[in-house]
Amino acid sequence: MITADVTHRFGGFTLDVSFESSGPVVGVFGRSGSGKSTLLSAIAGVVRSPVARVNVDGVTLADRPGGVWLPPDKRGLALVTQDPLLFPHLTTRGNLTYAPGADAALTSDRGRQIVDVLRLEPLLDRNAAVLSGGEQQRVALGRALLSEPRMLLLDEPVSALDGELAREVLALLLEAKTTLGVPMLFVTHRASELLALADDCLVLDDGKLVAQGPPIDVLSRPRDVGVAKLVGVDNLLRLRVVEHDERAGITHLDLGAGLRLASPFCAAPVDTLVDIGVYAEDVILCRRAPDATSARNTLAATVTSLDAIDREVLVGLELGATPIRVRVTAGAVAELDLRLGEPLVALIKTTACHHLSERR
Amino acid sequence: MTNAEIGVVLLSLRIAALVVVVSIVPGVLTGWLLARWRSPLRFVVQGVVMLPLVLPPIVTGYVLLEALGRQTWLGRAWHELTGTHLSYSTTACVVAAAVVGFPLLVESVRLAVLGVDERLEVVSRSLGRGRSSTFLRVTLPLALPGVLTGAVLAFARALGEYGATMVLAANVEGQTRQIPLAVAALLNKPGQDAAVTRLVVMSVALSFAALLGAAACSVWQRRRRGAR
Repeated sequence: MITADVTHRFGGFTLDVSFESSGPVVGVFGRSGSGKSTLLSAIAGVVRSPVARVNVDGVTLADRPGGVWLPPDKRGLALVTQDPLLFPHLTTRGNLTYAPGADAALTSDRGRQIVDVLRLEPLLDRNAAVLSGGEQQRVALGRALLSEPRMLLLDEPVSALDGELAREVLALLLEAKTTLGVPMLFVTHRASELLALADDCLVLDDGKLVAQGPPIDVLSRPRDVGVAKLVGVDNLLRLRVVEHDERAGITHLDLGAGLRLASPFCAAPVDTLVDIGVYAEDVILCRRAPDATSARNTLAATVTSLDAIDREVLVGLELGATPIRVRVTAGAVAELDLRLGEPLVALIKTTACHHLSERR
Repeated sequence: MTNAEIGVVLLSLRIAALVVVVSIVPGVLTGWLLARWRSPLRFVVQGVVMLPLVLPPIVTGYVLLEALGRQTWLGRAWHELTGTHLSYSTTACVVAAAVVGFPLLVESVRLAVLGVDERLEVVSRSLGRGRSSTFLRVTLPLALPGVLTGAVLAFARALGEYGATMVLAANVEGQTRQIPLAVAALLNKPGQDAAVTRLVVMSVALSFAALLGAAACSVWQRRRRGAR
């Protein structure tokens, strides 16, 4: 449980955010320059904001102006940044046992669990400076966890890493979340990380909190144009796996009302939920179904909304029981004579359905 | 080398070593402060600290004499405390050389601390280590090569100190007559060319060894940075 109320000014920028979240994993989402890293610094006590009220699990860490202001070392909020920032003059073990009490924590049951989850055993006696990027990030995470923090603060822990490494670190964070049950607050500009990791999501834009809620809701049904612009008007769908057709390379997902979406083959078991992203410009609208097409999805749809944005139109559709948005030109709307409530056919290539994460 | 000359060399080394001992802690703290303090006031402090580097040493010596002489408040306090007079003593040599060498030490530490990634200190704080613990466990070890470079430079500068020492400590055999003062004294006497040469060779050799030590420290520092 975290509550925070922070006002911070620098240059011409003002961060003014107030929120309450029961987490346990809170994602802070926004473009670069939206103030999300500043919010993290203010919560950590690294910057002294004129207004900073921070309370984690009932413990007041800051109450400015006027009251409490605990320095960063008294807050119990361990920072993990996109650079692992290991202490280069220490061994891996020296880094892991850096925090006061971490020596004892390392040999406790929980410490052994942390070492197991992060696969730190083979790294223990190596010099921190010679580890690979992924190994360094594992050690950084272990170092933070062994300080037994009230909450982990993660500043873009995955975003800066390249493909393979990013997946590895994200998987570790998921593992830390499920196995170790550590509350976290993390900053990201990637929707896929939010979906995979966060229970509650804060969207920041220009120093203000513009939305809060479960990530799938905030991202798939942005309530205002600001949030929509921020997350992109793409479709994020959480769908149930119906069956796999490994030979055809397809996994069928349930759209509701008897409709199925053919997505690329994935390993998620039948009846589990998967997150799928479909770009709004990757869907083709037709009056009638074509007689032969390479698109694996020819789906009956109903028009539920039409919103003009510049010279384009965002068409809201209902596919079975699943709402999606499609971006077309104003010319296409005129030629197809699209109206609310009319039946249509939507064509979606299987390869245009992107698996974002496999939920556990 | 005669016994007197050996005595001069040993006195020089003793003074230089004492300079490092007395100035290392204040030098490191001042260098750290100048690197990490955000206030514009730091430029004033930096100016005061660096002043002896650009002042004629004889002026520095004069200022020290005015501040620490027997009639001054500080001079009398020293007399109360130790029962001895500061001026014209080995201690005066140490004070003069320490003041003149201080900017070299401070600047070297300041640059080394500036080279330590501040984010490491932030992470250390977030892991529960306070300001001084973070300094001792992260900043100082990482800046150590720079600290050693500064100490070696201050040591070497002390070996070569003449002007400020001449004014504050005068040229007293066995007390304040280190290598530069001994050379100056010998130059005023006829027929001492061989003795002058021996001391000059010693001076060059010691200074060169000290500079090699400083160079080794900076190689170490660069290697450490590269390994990060």
